[in-house]
Amino acid sequence: MKRRNETLVGLVLLAGLATAIFGTMWLQGWEWGRDVVPVEAVFRDVGAAGAGNAVKVRGVRIGRISDVSVLPGGELVQMVMRVDADVPLPDDAAVVLAPESMFGDWQAEIVSQADFPHFNFAAPPGSDVLPGYALPDISRLTATADRISENLADLTDRIGIAFTEETARNLALTIENIQEVSNQLSELIEQQAATFGEVAAGVDEATGEIGRAAASTRSVFDRLDGVLAAGEVEALLTDLRQVSAGFEGLAQEASVTSRELGGMASRADSTFARLDHILEVAQGGEGVLGRLLGDPALVDEVEGTLVQLQLLLEDVRENPRRYLRLSIF
Amino acid sequence: MTSRLLAPLNWVGGRVLRGVSSLGRWGHLLTDTIRALRHVDVWLRLVLAQMARIGVDSVPIALFIATFTGIVLALQASYTFTGAVPLYFVGVLVGKTMILELGPVLTGLALAGRVGANIAAELGTMRVTEQIDALETLAYPPVAYLIVPRVLAGVVMFPVVTILAVALGIAAGWVTALQLLDMSTPEFVRGLMLFFLPFDVWFAVIKAASFGLVVCMVGCFYGFHTTGGAEGVGLSTTRAVVVSSMLILVLDAFWAVTLL
Amino acid sequence: MSIVIKDLHKSFGEKQILQGFALDVQDGETLAILGHSGSGKSVTLKHIVGLLEPDQGEVWVDGQAVTELKTEELYELRRRVGYVFQMAALFDSMSVAENVGLGLRRISGMTEDAIQSRVAECLDLVDLSGFQDRRPSELSGGQRKRVGLARAIATKPGYVLYDEPTTGLDPVTKAVIDGLITKMQKELGVTGVVVTHDMQSAYRVSDRIAMLYEGKTRFLGTPKEIQATRDPVVRAFIEGRPELLQEEATGAKEES
Repeated sequence: MKRRNETLVGLVLLAGLATAIFGTMWLQGWEWGRDVVPVEAVFRDVGAAGAGNAVKVRGVRIGRISDVSVLPGGELVQMVMRVDADVPLPDDAAVVLAPESMFGDWQAEIVSQADFPHFNFAAPPGSDVLPGYALPDISRLTATADRISENLADLTDRIGIAFTEETARNLALTIENIQEVSNQLSELIEQQAATFGEVAAGVDEATGEIGRAAASTRSVFDRLDGVLAAGEVEALLTDLRQVSAGFEGLAQEASVTSRELGGMASRADSTFARLDHILEVAQGGEGVLGRLLGDPALVDEVEGTLVQLQLLLEDVRENPRRYLRLSIF
Repeated sequence: MTSRLLAPLNWVGGRVLRGVSSLGRWGHLLTDTIRALRHVDVWLRLVLAQMARIGVDSVPIALFIATFTGIVLALQASYTFTGAVPLYFVGVLVGKTMILELGPVLTGLALAGRVGANIAAELGTMRVTEQIDALETLAYPPVAYLIVPRVLAGVVMFPVVTILAVALGIAAGWVTALQLLDMSTPEFVRGLMLFFLPFDVWFAVIKAASFGLVVCMVGCFYGFHTTGGAEGVGLSTTRAVVVSSMLILVLDAFWAVTLL
Repeated sequence: MSIVIKDLHKSFGEKQILQGFALDVQDGETLAILGHSGSGKSVTLKHIVGLLEPDQGEVWVDGQAVTELKTEELYELRRRVGYVFQMAALFDSMSVAENVGLGLRRISGMTEDAIQSRVAECLDLVDLSGFQDRRPSELSGGQRKRVGLARAIATKPGYVLYDEPTTGLDPVTKAVIDGLITKMQKELGVTGVVVTHDMQSAYRVSDRIAMLYEGKTRFLGTPKEIQATRDPVVRAFIEGRPELLQEEATGAKEES
């Protein structure tokens, strides 16, 4: 009886201890019998990446992050990764941190620095430490889209209420804001998209086009000033409201799920098609709106902003895979 | 007239006094237990038998509960995560909830029923049949002889049983995911590892140890202070189970507030 | 060396049990304490080994004031006092041998062989040789009491306290237990205190008898003396005639 007790208690104790230890080691991704080397990198900010997250090369998992700590001085964060020893890393290797999915798990991708010239990598203190850069994550993108929709709604409301010089100035301010955030948006999307898959030459092109389009539309609006007809103001307002509502929907879609990104793009596209139509109509009439606004530059900005947004969304529609990768799935 | 007016006051006063005196008895037993730790020669040989009774004998019920919990967790997780959330989150949910919450708490509650009632009934019977007095007359400090081994065994064995239960619960969830949910092993394991921290295991162990302390201590307390024959034993047993179950949930919240 | 109880008071809640009880047990004698159920006989015994603390009064055993002793000293004293419980209070989880040997294991320097031989000796004394491996649940009431007695005397105590040793037993078994109590006194020189409400048993085993009534000593004397007393309370008890108590009550009223 006593003998049996001793054996059983010993057995259960050992089983419990072994389960706890090996279970913890296993769940932490312990590398049993694998040849693993530590790789260090520095960042200005590591986003939500932490110990245990995956380390990848060209999308293949080769290890995990084992430690993250702020370096003395507080300017840089050091990350230690443990990766398979037999995977060759690029000569100008750098580490890009990005969300692996929408649910908070991040990944570290070891890339060639030359492929990402516009990323602002942190400068490493030594030659054996890799430079690193953390991407802004999807939630910031969504927040940006939200702000754009708010600004558009604001703009439409102000045009609708009264049109004094003060509102015109406010309008100018709002549109400036819109332009700023839409620039941010395009930047973000570009960076995110660039990380995964082949670096988007298309995106570079798109940004270039945004610039060109903005320039050309400015000249269009110079002429527009004189040709806007009084009867068209009401129609313009209605359409602007639709644009803002459409954009709001777009922001919501982005935050709920990006699975329907294709559908979203087409919806937004139709919104902008309507806007194009307004502008065309406006070109045929008298210069009332232009005079009402009292500031030709303001009109330029509206046009420029909208064109930029439109181009971005066109890109989303044409290359949905790029954005799908970026956002979640 | 006056007495009728004073009746509520008397009632409140009596309640408070009884509450305080019961608290006092708790404190007394607690300090006695800590002090009795020095009688190593008395309790050392008894701990093993209690570890077998409290720990080893509780393994089957704990594993049984954990198995079904794991299965249900996996199925409910997949039921909830439709559409937007990827299926590997089944692994996250099964792993995290088993380790952090359900493993320790369900094991604790099951053992409160099994171990707490057993201790209260045994010590209660010993009290009403004068066996505890008999121990004293044989020069054995009863706290060292009866309470210390049980409490120590509880503190050591509850975490062990809990760990085994958690492991089996996760395994059950895994098998369920493979067989019933069309998930693959890498998918489930990815979810399992996704947000895992070694601290989770510590958290579970700390919780389980505190539950062991509470269950055994409460069982000993009510058993030790049993009066009034068989009926008293029944009352002590019921109280031990009810009070230790409640304390487990309170402690659960306490640890969640302080440690997470 | 003896047991002395002075002015012992004890109450449980509102209920006053002992109200100035006093007793002096001579060395080597067996003293029986008589009394109704709930009159405080067992409570008195528990005071002697320090299981209960008096509200007031003193208890001296072997020249030591029980109430003043430190825990360790109290345990030391308890080794010299055997206690036979009313329902034997055997440990259900242990065999007979483990029960009897439990007190011996607290004595340092005793080998397992010495313990086993002492256990056999004690079981022999109560006519239960060979019962070592039985469980308490396999024993009859009389056998359990005898094991309880064996356990009480295992450490060779100078004093043995018997809490209703014959209650609930058949007449033959009663006689056997009474014989054992006498044997303890005659052969081992044990000082005994027997709490009982069984008159036959009290006459058989005791040198002196004390009657505990309403928390005080109502009578103290030899069996012969108690049989000759005219005190209606004592006679009511020993003769089993409650009507005598009625007379005492009415008589007391008339006097006042």
